This record gives sequence, structure tokens and C-alpha cells, in this order.
Amino acid sequence: MSRATAASVTRGGAFTAAAVAFPFVFQPAWIVNIGVLTLMYAALATAWNLFSGYTGYITLGQAAFFGLGAYTLGITFQHFGVGSGYNPFFALPLVGAGVAIASVPIAWIALRTRQMTFAIVTLTLLFIVQQLAFNLHGLTKGSTGLMLPTPRFPIDSYDTPFYLAMLAILLAGLALSWAILRSKLGLMLLAIREDEEKARGLGIRVTGAKLIAWSLMVWLSAMVGGVWAYYLTFIYPESSVDPLVMIGAVLMTFLGGRGTLWGPTIGALVLVPAQQYMITRLGASELYLVGYSAVFMAVLLLLPRGIVPSLRDALAALRERRRTHSKPITHEEVRA
Amino acid sequence: MLGVLVGGIYALMASGLTLVFGIMKVINVAQGALVILAAYLSYALFSHLHIDPFLSILVVTPAMFVLGVAVQVVFVRSLRGPDATELSLLVTWALALGIEGVLSVIFRTTYRVTSPSYADNTWSFFGYQVGEVRVLAFCASVVLLVLLSLLLTRTRFGRSVRATVQNPTAATLLGVDANRVQVLGFGLGVSMAAAAGAVYGVIYPFNPGSHYDLISRLLSIVVLGGLGSVGGAIFAALGMGVIEAIVAVEISPVWASFSFFVVLIAFLLVRPQGVFGVRERTL
Amino acid sequence: MRRTHVRLAALAACAALAALATTAGAGSAAVHAGAIKIGISLSLSGDFSDPGKFAEQGYKLWAKTVNAKGGILGRQVQLIIQDDASSPTQAATNYQNFITKDHVDLVFGPFSTLLTAPSAAVASRYGYAFIEPAGGGPAVFDQKLHNVFFTQPAPIVESGDVFVKWVLSLPKSQRPKTAAYPALDDPFSSPIADRMRQQFEKAGVKTVYKTIYPSENVDMTPIVSKIAASNPDMVVGGTQAGDGYALVKGMVQAKFSPKFLFLSNGPNSPGEFPSKVGAKNTEGIFSSSDWFPQAKTYQNPYFIKQFLKAYGGKAGDIDPGSAEAFAVGQVAQRVIRKVGLDNAKIIAALHQGTWPTVEGTLHWNSIGEPTGQFLLVEWLGGHLYPVLPKSVAVKKPTYPKPGWGG
Repeated sequence: MSRATAASVTRGGAFTAAAVAFPFVFQPAWIVNIGVLTLMYAALATAWNLFSGYTGYITLGQAAFFGLGAYTLGITFQHFGVGSGYNPFFALPLVGAGVAIASVPIAWIALRTRQMTFAIVTLTLLFIVQQLAFNLHGLTKGSTGLMLPTPRFPIDSYDTPFYLAMLAILLAGLALSWAILRSKLGLMLLAIREDEEKARGLGIRVTGAKLIAWSLMVWLSAMVGGVWAYYLTFIYPESSVDPLVMIGAVLMTFLGGRGTLWGPTIGALVLVPAQQYMITRLGASELYLVGYSAVFMAVLLLLPRGIVPSLRDALAALRERRRTHSKPITHEEVRA
Repeated sequence: MLGVLVGGIYALMASGLTLVFGIMKVINVAQGALVILAAYLSYALFSHLHIDPFLSILVVTPAMFVLGVAVQVVFVRSLRGPDATELSLLVTWALALGIEGVLSVIFRTTYRVTSPSYADNTWSFFGYQVGEVRVLAFCASVVLLVLLSLLLTRTRFGRSVRATVQNPTAATLLGVDANRVQVLGFGLGVSMAAAAGAVYGVIYPFNPGSHYDLISRLLSIVVLGGLGSVGGAIFAALGMGVIEAIVAVEISPVWASFSFFVVLIAFLLVRPQGVFGVRERTL
Repeated sequence: MRRTHVRLAALAACAALAALATTAGAGSAAVHAGAIKIGISLSLSGDFSDPGKFAEQGYKLWAKTVNAKGGILGRQVQLIIQDDASSPTQAATNYQNFITKDHVDLVFGPFSTLLTAPSAAVASRYGYAFIEPAGGGPAVFDQKLHNVFFTQPAPIVESGDVFVKWVLSLPKSQRPKTAAYPALDDPFSSPIADRMRQQFEKAGVKTVYKTIYPSENVDMTPIVSKIAASNPDMVVGGTQAGDGYALVKGMVQAKFSPKFLFLSNGPNSPGEFPSKVGAKNTEGIFSSSDWFPQAKTYQNPYFIKQFLKAYGGKAGDIDPGSAEAFAVGQVAQRVIRKVGLDNAKIIAALHQGTWPTVEGTLHWNSIGEPTGQFLLVEWLGGHLYPVLPKSVAVKKPTYPKPGWGG
């Protein structure tokens, strides 16, 4: 194993250990609850990054798959019965796979368009899924909302199973992202991001690569939606397909660093507690949305590459300076 | 029939959106929010100063043109580099959220509708009662779209715009000031939204959250018509308006807006570049 | 390199500014010693922010009046109100915080059935009573929780039952023979219309048209023309305010006037309805309501007097949401005086007997459904009056509805 890989594995192991220990160390339910929300966003952001970060195609439809996962789990409860307690968690990968498979045809159609159009088409997926949730009354109960049975977890640690489920999804997402970066698929995706025409010209199966990344993103997002639905035990169209949830995940990815491994998670670790703080303070004055928009703009305009790459650059520059005892030449100076 | 009237207003909003994309490859997701902003401005002018909403177009449009220019200079122009187009999508979305937030603070979330005295009048067309305001709104849209097309074809500015849409590099080489075209073009796109918004508020109740609904339809329309093609946007808007109206009456109102998206997806299967778009494999 | 430094610095500056701004807006969260702490999640921003504000007014007014009279059991009441931005995830988080972080004594309900359902589940988990003013839709009661107490006369889906009973009590020759049912697609309106339609169909009233329309951006004209074309004797609409007004206006424009017109919402706003549809058009239109300024319910005149003193305005403009929230407080006050602050005892006590409030005298079944009935209100002579049940009626219901403008 190379030194870089060993370092990555160590980082991953440390994170996993800390994350698993968290709810057992900090037991009050409200803290674990914040943990659940943070992990939820981290998983969503990591999933989004897996596709949009690596391929460069911005997708704005993630909330649709989150909602589809939520409703699929809910409908399965209603019409088939998945048992209760811990069983639904084990049904999740299947639920996610179902949604992913269903999404492939749409993705295939959407990927025939160019990048801008693709983004818009994925956005319309949001509205399509929400409308379906409203209109297919017999299946989804429409605007009245769908109920999921309440599990009988012990009250003292009620939130912990949900925390661990979200953590499992996040770890799966991180592991997949890490593996992709190291694989041929990762090279293909990077090539696509750099210059898709050239990649195609070199014989790379461009559409296939994109579809694989897409399916993985949908699989993860749908599972997150399922856990969320089970956690709240009540879902309805507007809450399940919520553009704000998706924008939050996108924002966190940008803040942390698009295309990096840990960026999305770091973004979530920063923004979810900040979000909670903002709601507590700003909510009453209706400035919550304005504040949110301001943070979003600030990140996009001032720090478009995100925390991780900027930190990486800063560290590298520091190392460089120490080594050569002089200021490194910057891009601007070279260009001038 | 009603569908055509509604389609006219959508055409107005969509033409601004697609024009902006053509000029600077920016998707202004805030177009819907800007329409709503204009609707509120017109509503406020009517409620406090009793200015007729159709007349308010003369006030609201220039005001929003200035706003559009300001937005372009402050937010959009600073986006450079390979990610610019995608970032613009997110930046304009953030802008839309900000507009929604500000409007929520000022006007609260109750639904409003601008109700001039003639809002309930109807005209009889072939046995149908058609709202007077809808006909007026449609006429206003037609007038403004005609003005737009005259601007694009007869003036020097318009020629610069079209040149930039067709081939930015060549246009610059031929002496077109790319910056000026972009700034003014964005302002123009926003003005179209503003004019549409002023009349939208008379027909439909709206609140700050209404922009989501609008932008989803507008985006479908411009993709269907072909990104960058104003003619395509108009055609698609009218088509969508008619389809929506037919579905609402024949099938059920709840499926009406859904039909927008079905048509779009189906169309993209056959012709990914939209009706009048140019086929390009990559951006 | 330099640019990244600049950017990081600018971002830090933004963050600092934002932090300053938020602390400037912060209210004091100091806990008064010995106070009874009550946690409430309210929609102060987002889609439900307008009705959320009315509920806040009701809650705060109750706390103020109770504290002015010395509090409950000698202790002052302290409301801890948190915004949920109209999001169910946030509402559930808020109640988790109230119960497991702030360790409040009691919790009161949020606005909207959609937020009440997940919130009640959280409260139930920890054994807290959930007295709530606005979660009256089927979603709340389907959960079959035993800690829920909805402070309106009946589950919302039964809003139209009074009207149905009255129509079916009329002599057969005067009853409507055909009916149309337009309904809004939301958790209450279409269930209400559906329930009324089923009751009418069972009694032999023929359904000539029914439809459900979505809540945003709807053009009522095709719906109204279909209604007019089917020429029903009676139109029963499951509506909220906005579409209710639009339906009436549409029928005026289409020059169609049914003999019986009931809308679940819209006509029940005494202030707004005449201005939105034209004062000449309101005559004979029915609606239902849970509360009325002139209603002779427990402490109602007192509530109105205090409300106007605190917030100004006219009695006719008070939103029922404020009364509903005030009712929650009334119930809480009474039950605390009776059994103290133990939630288990509170739940047991509330399931027995009747509890007087501004919303009427309430009694609940085991899953929190109130067992009373709503008011039937009608526009007569340009004013809105309760016409049934007889115990609170100010005038008798009149029919058939005259034509528009008459």
C-alpha cells in the first residue's frame, strides 16, 4: 500500500471510529438529533459530489431521488409491510437500488443534452416527482401525507439507530468516492470533466461512465430519503421533494470543496450546526431565507473552490516556502 | 383558446430567459423571482398610488432594467473561468432565494392579487366568457414581443446581440463590445420579466414562493424551444399554454402543469436540442 | 495564492458580520426561576408564517393574561417559542430540543396538520401531552396517539357535517337534487368535500360534477365553466380562502348562481370576503367556522377585549387561529390547576370530562378527536352570522340563495 493510500485509510478509520462513538458518548437525544441531520446532509452532499463533482455535470434533481426514496419506503410499508423495528433499515439498499434503476432511463435521455440543458432537465425532475406525489393519491395519499409506523426503539437511545443508518450511508458514499478516484472509472470521469469530446474521441465510454456515477448518486440519495422518512414517520410531497434541502447539500459541497473526497462532509459539519443557529436566531424575523441566500452567494463568489482545496493550497505553499526559504511564484506573477 | 392567452405571457418571460442564455451562456434561475418581484411592485403601486397595473409596466420595466444591470455587474460578471455557466446557475438560484426572502419580510406570505376595477369584466368570444384582463395581458405581451423583435433586427444593438449569440468570438473580432452587450442584454432579459410580472399579478394570486412554479415552467419552455432561440421560446410557450389548458379541461386540473414536463421529456428523446436549438455535443 | 488569502479573509469577515447580525436579533433566553416552561414550535417564516403569527399572538396573549393574574399555582408561565420555518424536520427537531435539552414542563402544538403529525409523535415518545390548536386533519388522528388533544370543536374533516345535516333536514321538495363538488388538493379541503359528497350521495343527491385542482397557479375558469355547464342545484366546495374567492368570482363572471352554495373556507372571513368577491354577491352563501367573535363561549368576550387591547384592530378581523391558540392555554391552565405538572396525569385527566374554552366546550375521544360540531355560518344582509347549531345561532339559515348582485 502506498503512503498516500495508508494515510487515506487511517483518516477514514479515525473518522469512522469517532463517528460511531459519538452517540454513545454524547447521549442527550437532541445532540444525537443534530448528528442525524448533519450526517444526512453529509451523505447527500457526498452523493451529489460523486456525480456532479467528478463529472462536472451539475445536477439539480437530487431532491427528487431523496423524495422517491422516502415515498418508496413509505409505500412499501403501506402496501407490502416491511416489518418494523430494524427491518426497514435492511430494506433500504433494495429501495435505493429500485429508485436508481428506475432513474437510469431518465438520465439516459437527459444526458443526450448538453450540460446546461442537463441541469435544467434534472431540475424539472424535481417538479415531476413532486407532482406525481401529489396526484397519485391511491399510492402516496397525495397532499394529505403518508404515515410510516413508529418503531419501538428504546426511548433513551431512540435516535441512535437512525444516526447509525445515516452514518452507514455516508461511509458507503465516502468509500465509493474514494474507490472511484482510484479506479479506471475515476480516470474516465475526470477525463469527461476536462474535455468530454476528447474523451469520447479517445474511445472512452462516456455515457456508460456517467450513468454509473449517476446510479450511485441516486442509490445513496434515495437511501438517505428512506431513513429520513422513517425518522419523521410522516412525509408529504412538499417536505419530501424540497429544493432547499438539495440546495443545502450543494452549498455544503461547494463550501467544502467540489470534487474532493472530504469536502462535502466538511461542508456539512460546518453548515448544519450553523443552519440550526441561524434558525434559532433569525427565524422569527423572516430573515432566515435572506441570510441563507447571503451565505450561499458568499461561498459561490468568494470561495468557489471550497475549503479543502484552499487549505490544501495553503499547506502546500507553506511547505514550499519552508523548503526554499522564499516566496513561491504565484500564477499571477508567472502570467505577468 | 385560453391557453394561447396564457402562453403569451409565458412567452414574454421565457424570451428574456433564453435571450440571456444566448448572449452570455447564463441561465438566470432568478427569472421567476424577478417576475414575482415585478408583480409585487405593480401591486404596491396599485394599492398605494392607484396606478393601473398595465400602466405600471412603464414604471416597473425601466426600474427592473436598472436592477438587472446592477445584478449582472455585481454578481454575474464576476463569474469567470470554466465553471462560469454552472456557477451562474447556482448564483442566480441564490439570488432567487434572496429575493423570495426579502419579499417575505416586506409583504408576508399571504397571497395577493392586483385587482383593478375591471378585473372581473369578461368579453364574449364564441360563447366563452373570457376575462378582459387576460386579453389585455396577451395584447401587451404581443406588443412587447414585437418591440423586442424590432429591437433585435432593426437596431445596431440588436444586431450586436444576435451576432454575439451566433458566434461570440467572431462578434468581438468584428468590433462588438462584448461587455456592453452582456450588461445591456441581461437588463433587457430582466425587463421582459418585469413587464410580464406586472400583468401576471392581475391574473394569478401570488406570494413570494410562487417563483418556483414559474421558473419550472419557464425552464421547460426554453429547453423545449431551444436554448438561445427567442423564436423557439415563443413557440414553445404558446404550445405549452395550449397543452396545459387542454389537459386541465379534458383530463383534470391536477395534471395540467405535469403535462409541461411530459412533453418536454418526450421531446428531448427525439430532439435534444429543442425545436429551434443548435445541436451541440458539449458546451 | 494571495487571492485565496483575500478570499478566505473576506469569507471570515462575512461570517463575522453575520454573527454580529444574528446576536443583534437575539432575544433573551434567560430562565426565570420557578417559571412553568412551555415549549412551542411555530411557523414564523416560510409558507405557514402568516397563520403562524396569528397562533403566536393567541399564545402570547394567554401567557400575558395568566401571568397578570398571578400565574398558575403561583408560578409564572414562560413560553419558549422557536421558529420551524414551516419545515416538519425542523419542527420535530424543535420539540426534541424542548423536551431533551430545555427540559420544558409542557409543550403546545405548532401550526398546520402537516407539522403537527411528526411533532406529536416526538412528544408521544417522551410521554408529553400534546395540546394543539391547528392539527385537525386526518394525518394527525390516523397516528392514533393518546397524548393528542385538538382544541377545535371537531376534526376538520367534519367541517361540513353541520351543513349536510341541515340540508337533509329540509323537506324533500326543497332539497337540492344535483350537486357539484370542486375541491382544493390539500390535506383538508378535498377530504371535507369528499366526506360531504358521500353523505349527500347516500341521501340521494346526484353528483353531476366533481374535480380536484392543485393549489398553485390555478385558472378557475375551465372549472367554473364545467360547473355551470352541469347546472347543479348545489355547489359544495372544499376550499381555502384564495380559491374560495376565485370560485365565487368565477361563478359571478359566468353568470351562474346555484340555489345552495357552501364553501369550507373563504366566506368565513368576515373582513375579506365582501371585498374580494363584491359585497353585493355574498348573500346566502354558507361556510363553516370553529370560532366566532360573537360566540357565547367560555371567556370569549374577555379574550376579545384583551386581544384588542394588546393588538388593536376590530373584533371581526381577529383570525380564528389566535382563538385556537388561546384555547390551548385555557385547557392547559385548567388541567394544571387540577392535577399539577405531571404529563401522564395531565393526559389521563384530559381524556375525561369536558373542558370549556373560547372554541366551545371540548371533549376528546381516545385518539384526540374532539366530539363536538363546527358552526355553520351564512351571509345575510351583508354580514356573516352563525346560523347553526341552535344553541349559538344568531339568525336562522335562509335559502335558496338569491342570484348574484341581488
